[in-house]
Amino acid sequence: MTVREYLSPRSLPEALSLMERYGPDLLVMAGGTVAMPLINDGISLPERVMGLRHAGLDGIAQRGDVLGIGAATTLTQLLAQDAVPLLREAARNTASWSIRNMGTVGGNLFTPPPGGDVAVALLALDARVRLAGPRGERTLPLADFFTGFMTNALAEDELLVEIQVPTTVRETAFIKFGRKHANTPAVVTVAIAVERRDGRIGTARIALGAAGPHPIRVADAEAAIVGSALESDAIQRAADAAMRECRPFTDAIATEWYRRRMVGVFVKRALERVVA
Amino acid sequence: MASTIVTFELAGREVEVMVKPMTTLQAVLRYQLGFTSVKEGCRQGGCGSCTVLVDGEPMMSCLLPVEDVAGRRVTTLETITPDEGVHPIQQAFIDHTAFQCGYCTPGMIMISKALLDHDPHPTREAIVDALAGNLCRCTGYEPIVAAVEGAAQATAGKGAPR
Ligand SMILES: Cc1cc2nc3c(=O)[nH]c(=O)nc-3n(C[C@H](O)[C@H](O)[C@H](O)COP(=O)(O)OP(=O)(O)OC[C@H]3O[C@@H](n4cnc5c(N)ncnc54)[C@H](O)[C@@H]3O)c2cc1C
Repeated sequence: MTVREYLSPRSLPEALSLMERYGPDLLVMAGGTVAMPLINDGISLPERVMGLRHAGLDGIAQRGDVLGIGAATTLTQLLAQDAVPLLREAARNTASWSIRNMGTVGGNLFTPPPGGDVAVALLALDARVRLAGPRGERTLPLADFFTGFMTNALAEDELLVEIQVPTTVRETAFIKFGRKHANTPAVVTVAIAVERRDGRIGTARIALGAAGPHPIRVADAEAAIVGSALESDAIQRAADAAMRECRPFTDAIATEWYRRRMVGVFVKRALERVVA
Repeated sequence: MASTIVTFELAGREVEVMVKPMTTLQAVLRYQLGFTSVKEGCRQGGCGSCTVLVDGEPMMSCLLPVEDVAGRRVTTLETITPDEGVHPIQQAFIDHTAFQCGYCTPGMIMISKALLDHDPHPTREAIVDALAGNLCRCTGYEPIVAAVEGAAQATAGKGAPR
């Protein structure tokens, strides 16, 4: 182990000032369930690590129509809330109990695919992320946070501090399909949120995990159901569009070919769940 | 890399360890304190053989810098085993032959202890769900699930001791 110093800031200002002092060489870590395995294996060899466990960035608070989720909120804490059922469902399908007690909601947004199951649900919910840095704070849509495979909009001197989720979305569905029932990497993850006007779909968000370089939305699939009453042919058109639009990959879990087909299957099933 | 001193609660006592930065709780327990029930399995959080409880909640000690448990209560198989005899969950594992090589057993018992503390009468589904992060390559899991069901009956209503 080559780590020279482990820093445990007690507040956000302290965390930000440590980042300013040590610059980009400081490794930020929240629950450590992604960072620690790499350190244990010697793949990541940081000199200085800053742990966020005691920085006061955890906790969930309802503010009007928005649920504010601190970045360092654990997945177990997310499972315990009932304001947003889709997030419970996503947390329940992520990792195992011990990992959920450690891993954080914020950390999930940095987890490369096929991980990031909670991030997929957050994308379907049109969540926003609040970032803090030496120049102050800014919030942006989660969709703009992801910029590529393991890259994001976070500046080197910024921290993710909060995820903001609208609690007004009522019709949602979540399916994670893996090789096992639990504690398994995704073949594909699908999260859907729709709003209806007079029985017809007004807005639709269909988010996929393990089907691109980061959690993605599939605009053509969404367009295929807007204005419909989720009749079976609209659902089939959305599933077909999602299969065309997604950008899956091959890894030890599944091939690109298989993932694409499973996108079709599970977008369809998730939409049927919304109907039911 | 200056060493630091970390204090936490173990077996009802305050223990103080001097560690290099970011030594894992797993390494401290097993190699510094001799608590050899805490296995060094995959060191990836993937196998569960290092499962311990921190303030009663199960965690993978291989992913936990010991600095993060400063001031907190750590529970291992050693700390729940009575001076005489065995813990009811251990007895249930014996009664159901819920192990062969035994490597996963301490982690299995610790996650089961956490489950029974939270939920003294878990459904089979809840047991299977709780055990999902703990791998066993010998038993096929059925005897382990049966052991947890047996332990739930043996400790019914009272929860698991200690
Ligand atoms: C056995 C196992 C099973 C798993 N199963 C799943 C699964 O089923 N689905 C899934 O999605 N994931 C899974 N994971 C991955 C992981 O547990 C989760 O993604 C978890 O949410 C990551 O959060 P963390 O806080 O532990 O991340 P960390 O390891 O603490 O963080 C990883 C990196 O993210 C960055 N970061 C984290 N928080 C912040 C912040 N607030 N500000 C700035 N940067 C930050 C840092 O660069 C950090 O190094 C699994 C992991 C393991 C070990």
